[in-house]
Amino acid sequence: MKKLHISKKTKRILGAIAVPIVFIAFWQLFILAGSPSARFLPSPYKVLQKFVILFSEPTYSHNIAVSLQRVMIGFFIGTLAGFLFGLLMGLSKTAEKIFAPFFHAVRQVPMIGWIPLIIMLFGMNELPRVLIISVAAFYPITLNTFSGVRNVPREYLELASVYGIKGIMLIRKIIIPAALPSITTGISLGLAMSWSVLMVAEIFIQTAFGIGTQIQRGRDRFDIALVLAGIITVGVLGYAMTVLVQKILTAVERGRVISTVK
Amino acid sequence: MAKKFLQRLGLKDKLLAIIVPLLVLTAWQGAVSQKLCSELILTPPLTLLKTLLELAQSGDLTLNILASLKRVMIGFLFGGTSGFVVGILMALSPFLNRIFGPLIKALQQVPEFAWMPLIIMFLGIDEFAKYFFVAIGAFYPMVLNTYQGVSGVPEKYHELARVFEYKSFRYLFKVIIPSALPSIITGIRLSLGLSWMFVVGAELFGSDSGVGYLMTWGRSVFQIDLVMAGLILVGVIGFAMNFLLERAEKQFFLWREPVEGRHA
Amino acid sequence: MSDNKGTLEIRNLSKSFIVDNNPLQILNNISLSVSSGAFVTIVGSSGCGKTTLLRIMLGLENHYTGEALIDGKQIIGPGTDRGIVFQDHRLLPWLTVGENVAFGLDKLKQKEKKFLVDEHLKLVGLNGFESAYPYQLSGGMAQRVAIARALANKPEILLLDEPLGALDALTRMYMQQELERLWLLEKITMIMVTHDIDEAIYLSDKVVIMSSRPGVIKKIIDVQLSRPRDRASSDFMRIKAEILQEFHLGTEYPFAYAI
Ligand SMILES: Nc1ncnc2c1ncn2[C@@H]1O[C@H](COP(=O)(O)OP(=O)(O)O)[C@@H](O)[C@H]1O
Ligand SMILES: [Mg+2]
Repeated sequence: MKKLHISKKTKRILGAIAVPIVFIAFWQLFILAGSPSARFLPSPYKVLQKFVILFSEPTYSHNIAVSLQRVMIGFFIGTLAGFLFGLLMGLSKTAEKIFAPFFHAVRQVPMIGWIPLIIMLFGMNELPRVLIISVAAFYPITLNTFSGVRNVPREYLELASVYGIKGIMLIRKIIIPAALPSITTGISLGLAMSWSVLMVAEIFIQTAFGIGTQIQRGRDRFDIALVLAGIITVGVLGYAMTVLVQKILTAVERGRVISTVK
Repeated sequence: MAKKFLQRLGLKDKLLAIIVPLLVLTAWQGAVSQKLCSELILTPPLTLLKTLLELAQSGDLTLNILASLKRVMIGFLFGGTSGFVVGILMALSPFLNRIFGPLIKALQQVPEFAWMPLIIMFLGIDEFAKYFFVAIGAFYPMVLNTYQGVSGVPEKYHELARVFEYKSFRYLFKVIIPSALPSIITGIRLSLGLSWMFVVGAELFGSDSGVGYLMTWGRSVFQIDLVMAGLILVGVIGFAMNFLLERAEKQFFLWREPVEGRHA
Repeated sequence: MSDNKGTLEIRNLSKSFIVDNNPLQILNNISLSVSSGAFVTIVGSSGCGKTTLLRIMLGLENHYTGEALIDGKQIIGPGTDRGIVFQDHRLLPWLTVGENVAFGLDKLKQKEKKFLVDEHLKLVGLNGFESAYPYQLSGGMAQRVAIARALANKPEILLLDEPLGALDALTRMYMQQELERLWLLEKITMIMVTHDIDEAIYLSDKVVIMSSRPGVIKKIIDVQLSRPRDRASSDFMRIKAEILQEFHLGTEYPFAYAI
């Protein structure tokens, strides 16, 4: 059976990239064959060329930097606000009763629905873009922080009261560590939402720089390669960011567990 | 989540839940009528109600809602159905999974709205482009959840099917799909939610009818009450669709142990 | 059922699983013959291969050496001549009790189906429950539905894998009586795996004692007591002592562990 000694890992990697390679090869062939419906579609090679050009231009890296900054600011504000709001509603039943109906009602509106209103209120500038990105992160983080705090096992709280731990100490030593898995879930979801809404913000609220802007510009010039390059950039960056944040969150959680065990 | 919350509330709490929003609305109305805040910036609630009533009377309301709903339904049917089929095929055939899996995973990394300019370049912004766009939104959650549900059918049920000699379609419809159904229904819910979001997006991009159009029109004529009325419609219709689906789900899952019972 | 249906013959059967790329022998040279209409139990410590043996009889496990024959024919997969009651009742949660019992009757006409379902629910004492869902049943009731589902197919051999393992002691004894009643009524072969030596003696004509690593048959003890059996009788106790003896001396593990 085993004539070629290929390790399982290599096989898995080969298997995973085989399909995309075949796909790209077909795409290239399709265009080389000169099919009439391929008139507008650029070849993979052209998209690659476009990337080479983009990398040599300062605008491309600037677009990426602006988009990343936009998401980071919005995500940070949304995370902080969502964490505090979720914590408040989780800790206080009164706060939950007052705010929760409102929160759930407002949450029903899809993010895209807010666009015309915030443009009218704030104009086409940076504020509404960051605002909508932070709201996107705000919802899942609030929900998950709330449920994490609310579901802290009663045993832990009883233990804390036996040892006379209350107030800020209770929150820091018991409630937040116990709710942490749920909170980190909220943060990952929030990041995905922010990244997704970034496109809404940049495409619907016109702006001079950003990857969404690049995609839009490609459309205006009927430069499909530019649009595809933008789409690929968004996908790759989003993926990289998700993986990075996932790694950080796992490390934080593990650190927590270890320090608690000590 | 919202409904569970409401069920838990007692009468006093329900009053509290109603009074607080009422207070906010009154304060808002008061602020505008006392000229603390311009009517041009924030429409007071009563004016908003009037706008909605006027829209209803003129027939614009029904017309635009129906236009949006039609787009959602068509896009959702195409996208959801293809997601369902591809999800099942991927879960049942390792070969197809190897073909579609990485492709879908790669496409999934791209925020859906980033596709919009590309679609518009190829298809314009006519009706068909809108269906297509909604279908893309409906496709992802359906593929993922169907795939997860079907590949998560417990081995013990597969064995049972073998013992009782269930094969092909009988096997699919009597064992696999019912077992995967909770996950599939989650897919439908998410899928419908995204479809709704995408139809509004497509209408904001360019349209001469629909709830999204109502808002862009309001914006272009500087009538913020129209924009806010549209916003409320978007929220209410999205909520209603989700609510109806949850209702239907309950009817569907009589076989599940009620959650309340488990806590008691 | 004609007289010589439902016989099982296993000859020199050995079975290995591949674990971490290495074969691990689970069953070693098993030979066993079960005559038509007999009640046979298999006892042995956890992990000695009882379930694997039963799955071979059922046709869910292939790739073994030796022979496994039902009525003289090689087993080549599951078939309706054999019914199974798994340890977990394995009812489908989305089907009602009635639909679960009808699960193997899919090819029949509606009327025949209903007749068989009614008949077998009555048999296990659960008439009136056909529209309940599995989550509404107790453990003992669920196992009875599983038994009805298996019997509704009119198998020649009923295989039972620790069917009463999850029940409390009193329900368990009641279910043992029920099983005996069903066996006397249906006159089919039953092969049951159990942990419980009392249960084995109470029910079976033959107790097969297995030991582990790899699983072999240590001894087969005939139980020739009249039915219904008295769990406190001296004959019962004598057989029990004989079986315990096997466990006590036969394994390198202490007695409590083996049971
Ligand atoms: N599919 C399998 N692959 C590998 N090992 C298995 C498999 N099924 C069972 N085994 C192993 O075979 C042994 C016997 O299992 P089993 O027949 O379930 O024992 P019993 O029912 O007597 O407790 C156990 O050690 C178990 O881990
Ligand atoms: Mg077992």
